[in-house]
Amino acid sequence: MNKLFAALIATAFVSLPVSAAPKTKVVAAPTPAPYSGVYQPQGVDEIGLWREDDERERALSNSPLVIRDEALNAYVKSVLCKTVGSDRCDKVRLYILRVPLFNASMSPNGTMRVFSGLLLRTRSEAELGAVLGHEFGHFENRHTLQQFKSARSGTDLLSWAAVLASMSGTQQSYQNFDSIRLSVYGGLARFGRNQEREADLLGLGYLNNSQLRPHAASRVWRNLILEVEASSAARGLSKPNFNGVSFFASHPPDGERVNYLYALAAPDSEGREEGADLHQEALKPWVTAFLDDQVSLNDFGASEFLINSLAENGWTADLWRARGDLFRARGNPRDLMNAADFYAKSVALNPELAEANRGLGLSLIKTGRMAEGRAALERYLQLQPTASDASMIAMTIASMGGK
Amino acid sequence: MRSIKRWAVLCVCGIGLATNSAAAQERTAIKQGFELPTNSGKKILIIRPKVSVGEQSTGGLFEPNADWTDNARKNIDTALVKKQGSLGNTVVISPEAYGDQALIAEEYTNLFGAVAGAVVNYQFFVGNRLPTKKRDNKAGVFDWSLGEGVRNIPGAQGADYALFIYNKDAYGSTGRKLLQIAAALGPGLAVKSGEHLGYAGLVDLKTGELLWLNADAAMGGDVREADGAEKRVGQLLEEFPGSVEAIEKAKQP
Repeated sequence: MNKLFAALIATAFVSLPVSAAPKTKVVAAPTPAPYSGVYQPQGVDEIGLWREDDERERALSNSPLVIRDEALNAYVKSVLCKTVGSDRCDKVRLYILRVPLFNASMSPNGTMRVFSGLLLRTRSEAELGAVLGHEFGHFENRHTLQQFKSARSGTDLLSWAAVLASMSGTQQSYQNFDSIRLSVYGGLARFGRNQEREADLLGLGYLNNSQLRPHAASRVWRNLILEVEASSAARGLSKPNFNGVSFFASHPPDGERVNYLYALAAPDSEGREEGADLHQEALKPWVTAFLDDQVSLNDFGASEFLINSLAENGWTADLWRARGDLFRARGNPRDLMNAADFYAKSVALNPELAEANRGLGLSLIKTGRMAEGRAALERYLQLQPTASDASMIAMTIASMGGK
Repeated sequence: MRSIKRWAVLCVCGIGLATNSAAAQERTAIKQGFELPTNSGKKILIIRPKVSVGEQSTGGLFEPNADWTDNARKNIDTALVKKQGSLGNTVVISPEAYGDQALIAEEYTNLFGAVAGAVVNYQFFVGNRLPTKKRDNKAGVFDWSLGEGVRNIPGAQGADYALFIYNKDAYGSTGRKLLQIAAALGPGLAVKSGEHLGYAGLVDLKTGELLWLNADAAMGGDVREADGAEKRVGQLLEEFPGSVEAIEKAKQP
């Protein structure tokens, strides 16, 4: 009897589905099939998932995190439409969330969430479109449903294996159970990674078919690698591995993506526009706020990297101010010397920038330059007499006047 | 050693054991001194209930079912009106809100969820209770509030109290039931099939105080059917202030 169970478990282990290994030879991503039009969910699982998603979207649409600026929403939607084509993008509901992380997602019923951190990290329409197209690929191929089904069959199998292993009770059956468990969990993670590869392929297919330069997709990931490296370096950690696949990894390694995304771009599209100017213009009203969110993450290396890369097109008063904030937030005496320097550069570019004057004043006072600091704070109060911290700053000024 | 390993194997698989959940299933609390006499004619604003109904897969995953959820929502709404009407209170369904009003409604639904979760975890059930809340339990104190901002909930002007309802049902699938039987007959372990969670709370729309809360982790009544939903609402509103008859009725087999 026990042997029978052990054999059963062993068979289950052997017959586990093994998904195809990632392709080795890559050619340019093919043009996606023509859009099949408005899709309605089919079958109890999919209808159920959509129904739950409708409920989540109802809550999302009333979330205080959603940025309701119509101009910004229209811009991001236009990038999506340029990428996937107007027939596809038409029915997508787009929500820009004020979350300073690099992410976007698309759920079964066609809700697209875009984090503000993604907008801060992309430099052009093509780069933003690359990520949006990837997410749309998940939606078009109904990946959530597949993932749900594979998770369900995996856990079903595991439950039966657990009961059978307990029933058999031999050492061998427990060992078999452990193998099945590893195999199921590993299989689920690999299934997810292959879905990401599929979405990457579709995303590049859209871009190849659009007017945007598809090579930008690879750069998004290269920049992310550089940012993660900067973040680790600032914390004194060793360089992360960007090529190894860890057991539970949900996505293919960034290094792999950089390479295959570049190879998937159509070779004859090298000369296309990326739309960097349009992107910069559309984000202008929001860059300050997004930078502040990023600085408050307390990730010194990454924030410094982002500010410096935004400054590649020239330093602005606002970028100097953000860099000053970043150093002043860390707040070591050596940081305050730097912060005072950055704020001074900001004020030199735009003397009317109240926040820079405030930071300059506070940093100068901390580094012992009282008179100059006091002057900067007074200037801050002149520029913004109704600031929320006006009375506190006034008190600081008064306390120094007494000395 | 072997039996320990058995337990470990089953726990890893997320198979809930019935023995764990039997201890803590239902708990009700009411704010000291609060009374809602029958036929007092108070107006109760019903905030759109959170309802989800589906199946529990063999491995214990929740499989949402749209048809069941829609039916349950309709049945629960009907049962609520019927129930409250018979208690002599007027039920006001929360109006469809737009713009900032909709944001406020959503915010308070979430805030209520967080507060109710805190009550359940830290005051109601054994395991993680806070020392201060244990003391409150002994003294019969029930002191929680959503803040006076509840006055701004859409529809709050025309009502005295707000009733929040959360309901989640996962009916055991055939596979789950077979697993349950196999586990019971084979290794002799109890696998829980199905999950029926719910809580209901009454909030004072003038002060924001939580007046009454009922949490139940194992409810009866099939919400997919009209009469089942009535039974469910009866259990959700068990010991609802002023519902003496309801309590008597529920106690009878």
